[in-house]
Amino acid sequence: MVVENFENFFAWLPSALWTFVLAGGPAVLLIIILGYLVAAFRHGPAEAFYVVAQVLFGFIPDLFGTSVRRVFAIAKLSVKEALRRKVVLVTFAVFAIALLFGGWFMNAGVDNPDRTYVNFVLWGTQLLILFMGMLLSAFSLPDDIKNKTIHTVVTKPVRSTEIVLGRILGFVALGTALLALMGLLSFLFVWRSLSHTHQLVGSQDMAAMTEIDPNTRESFRGGRVSENAILQGRTTGDSGHFHSVELIEDVRLPGAPEPENQANIVSKKVLPDGKTVYERLIVNPASGHTHQVTLDKNADGSVSRIRLGPAAGYFRARVPVYAENLSFFDSDGSKNQSGINVGREWSYRGYVDGGNLVRPDSLAKAELTFEGITPNRFDNPEQLVVEMTLSVFRTYKANIEKRVIGSIQFESVPEDPNTTPIFRSEVSLFETEEYNVQTIPVPRKLVGKQFAPDGTILKEGEFDLFTDFAGDEKHRLKLLLRCEDRNQYLGLAKGDIYFRASDDLYWRNFIKGYLGIWCQLLVVVTMGVAFSTFLSAPVAMILSVVVILFGFISGFVRNLAQPDVSGGGPIESFWRLITQKNMEIDLEPGLQRTLMEQADTLLVNMLYYLTYLAPDFQRLNFSQYLTYGYAVDGNRLAVALCISIGFCLWVSILGYFCLKTREIAK
Amino acid sequence: MSSTATPSSGESRPRKLEQTNPDYDPNIVVEAQNLSKIYRDFWGRQKVRALRSLDLEIRKGEVFGLLGPNGSGKSTTIKLLLGLLFPTSGRALIFGKDATEVRKNERIGYLPEESYLYRFLTAEETLDFYGRLFDMPPKLRKERAAELIEKVGLTWAKRRQLREYSKGMVRRIGLAQALINDPDLVLLDEPTSGLDPLGTREMKDMILELKAQGKTILMCSHLLADVEDVCDRIAILYQGELKELGRVDSLLQVSDETQVRFKGLPESAHAELRAIIAKHGGEVLSLENPRTSLEDLFLTIVRESQQRPGHRSQGARSSG
Repeated sequence: MVVENFENFFAWLPSALWTFVLAGGPAVLLIIILGYLVAAFRHGPAEAFYVVAQVLFGFIPDLFGTSVRRVFAIAKLSVKEALRRKVVLVTFAVFAIALLFGGWFMNAGVDNPDRTYVNFVLWGTQLLILFMGMLLSAFSLPDDIKNKTIHTVVTKPVRSTEIVLGRILGFVALGTALLALMGLLSFLFVWRSLSHTHQLVGSQDMAAMTEIDPNTRESFRGGRVSENAILQGRTTGDSGHFHSVELIEDVRLPGAPEPENQANIVSKKVLPDGKTVYERLIVNPASGHTHQVTLDKNADGSVSRIRLGPAAGYFRARVPVYAENLSFFDSDGSKNQSGINVGREWSYRGYVDGGNLVRPDSLAKAELTFEGITPNRFDNPEQLVVEMTLSVFRTYKANIEKRVIGSIQFESVPEDPNTTPIFRSEVSLFETEEYNVQTIPVPRKLVGKQFAPDGTILKEGEFDLFTDFAGDEKHRLKLLLRCEDRNQYLGLAKGDIYFRASDDLYWRNFIKGYLGIWCQLLVVVTMGVAFSTFLSAPVAMILSVVVILFGFISGFVRNLAQPDVSGGGPIESFWRLITQKNMEIDLEPGLQRTLMEQADTLLVNMLYYLTYLAPDFQRLNFSQYLTYGYAVDGNRLAVALCISIGFCLWVSILGYFCLKTREIAK
Repeated sequence: MSSTATPSSGESRPRKLEQTNPDYDPNIVVEAQNLSKIYRDFWGRQKVRALRSLDLEIRKGEVFGLLGPNGSGKSTTIKLLLGLLFPTSGRALIFGKDATEVRKNERIGYLPEESYLYRFLTAEETLDFYGRLFDMPPKLRKERAAELIEKVGLTWAKRRQLREYSKGMVRRIGLAQALINDPDLVLLDEPTSGLDPLGTREMKDMILELKAQGKTILMCSHLLADVEDVCDRIAILYQGELKELGRVDSLLQVSDETQVRFKGLPESAHAELRAIIAKHGGEVLSLENPRTSLEDLFLTIVRESQQRPGHRSQGARSSG
């Protein structure tokens, strides 16, 4: 999953409003001119001016004269209409059937089955609810006009604002209720489908465990998983997978805290040197989850029964603490804006190299600066977790199963580099896990050195991550990432490495994810109602779909509308096409070229702002967050709500004017 | 109840933007000034000229009938007055306000030709819905709905969805929704359409009752008998033009004929009467027993049957 935007809502809002004005202003002007032309055609140019003015100024009394009771009446009518025509029932029935039989086609034994299940329910819900919303909203007014039932409504003191608002609110209220129900059932479905437990193969006590050959290599493919395991066993295969169970020796230094989980401790020994050895029974993760072990004990302290708890680790809402800044440094140590380009078309990630034969000790690194690293943000401040999704670029294949080695190092950010000492931790190596979220534990006490500004070592030993490394006012901390394999490259973007803060509550995150669908529903319903004030139902539906598609690709179109695209804008490109001049050839300077460039600039700018007229649907979609177990943060939610409400506001006003200026009867 | 109305052939365009008539006379409820409507196709080409320069005034408390064959412009006139259509030229004023003004609807009740109501609602829900559109408070809405349902005789079916109603029942609830706000002006488009003779008579009685309450009524119909029975004044439209306008009694009066009706006169007296008429230079056009109208006959039979179920109607024997 790629998280590209790091916007703070209040930082985003001013620029978004400005863009909104720049995009919406000309669009409104264009609509007014169009309205004037139509009026001029009907009434003559002079009178058209008054007609347009009358319609425009009529909006103010209509807006302030809008009655809540009438809006509610029309909303209630819309709800009753949808319910009694059984549209909602059919939608819900399709969803229920999908849930009833969907489980047949999904395998809980694959890696991260929760992603498959969550993805299934989210897509199912999204598809059905949006289709229902579009269908109801696009057909309601045209049906009303076709059946002439609207004649008995508009001949009452009902304003166009009330009809448009009432219809939108009614369908959105209905959709919200259905969405809530579908969300609840989806949650139960995923929970029920994934909840399982196992038993040990053999007897349900320590006799089921066998000794591990001390020479067994530590590997996921081999016998042992944990380096400090002494006994091993296996669980039964349930839900398409099994787990290995190990008895590990957990050695703790004198004064170190006891293990948090006491239920899985088989025995506890204090060694002569003061260290404490806990023998703990653990279930190793498989399919993205593990199980809690609980031991029943006899009076003499021996284990009478081993019990495995329900699946743990599926329902996560990780809260990432992203870096505020990412800088790259070349192999010679000089700063590079975007890292090394390895030639991949998608230039989202920058790369750092691991040196080569000519320069074996590459100084290339990626430097991520985090802010606000304080103990209260983490569940377990004694051991932090850094999660990474790194991209690897290999210049030679070698042993494909051998992973590329990378390293991380922490550094403090001095307030004044000339006077403040710097803390620098030891380099910690890791094997990269491509295509997966990789977890690296970071202890609070980091072994490292304190350097004076002139580079001399002031102190060596253990330093506290929070008070020493991130001890400045803003609690900043640098993470340095290097590639340690020669001729290989590690790629990353700002969103690829983060500290994992305390998880959000899963159910709360689930609701936030569904709020994204709700935003989409709001947009779809508003478009359906507004477009159907001047279009027939099928055409209104098609236009809604076009706007949605445009909303999905608006980012791509915006990239096309960059001024520095090689080959020029549409007119220059067309000119090159017909004159067979490729993109690299410079056109001859002169009036023709100037005119083409000016016209292209105008068109490209228009296209650029046009993309902002459609809502950016990517930003309303939080499915990926839920699927991959990330928390939807409040800023993103606020942005999504703001985009939806802003768009709906303008589209509703458009719908109002279209309804107001059309003849209801024929 | 005098009024001035002349079929106009002029095409002069009045000021369109004037929302209210500065010379508004509160006694004039409906006013059409040089009102014309041309239906056009998508490209703006003229399809039909539905109404030509209609000038009309309807005064307070009047029952006014718009008469004409199909396609004569009756419904177009009503739709223009309601703001459902925009005039091509001229203007329509209701209570001195432009027809497109929303607030004028607060004093209007409208029964469309086909009772275009939401068929998935029950009678109670229908009236509650329309009551809400008038911003009526819940208590008043409930009282008014119950009263009107009682009045149109649908208490027994008030919780049934309108899709289960017969055409006549829908028409009745349609009338009830038109009266939910106790309007000052009631516009009825073909009010007796789809009603049986009993329903027709009840509708006509209701119109007269509304008139007695001081309400102004504008109805259009092509059923001449209905219009004749209830209207004070009528306008006859033909192909979008106003052909005749005036009081019903004066329009229908045949001034050069005299009608005398007696009861209990023997057959032998007929010759004597003929002689007297001849003596004064008159010509006898007919001298016979009068016939009741079929409507009256039907109503008499139905009412008697309702009073004496299982018995053959006296009215049927005496009239046959």
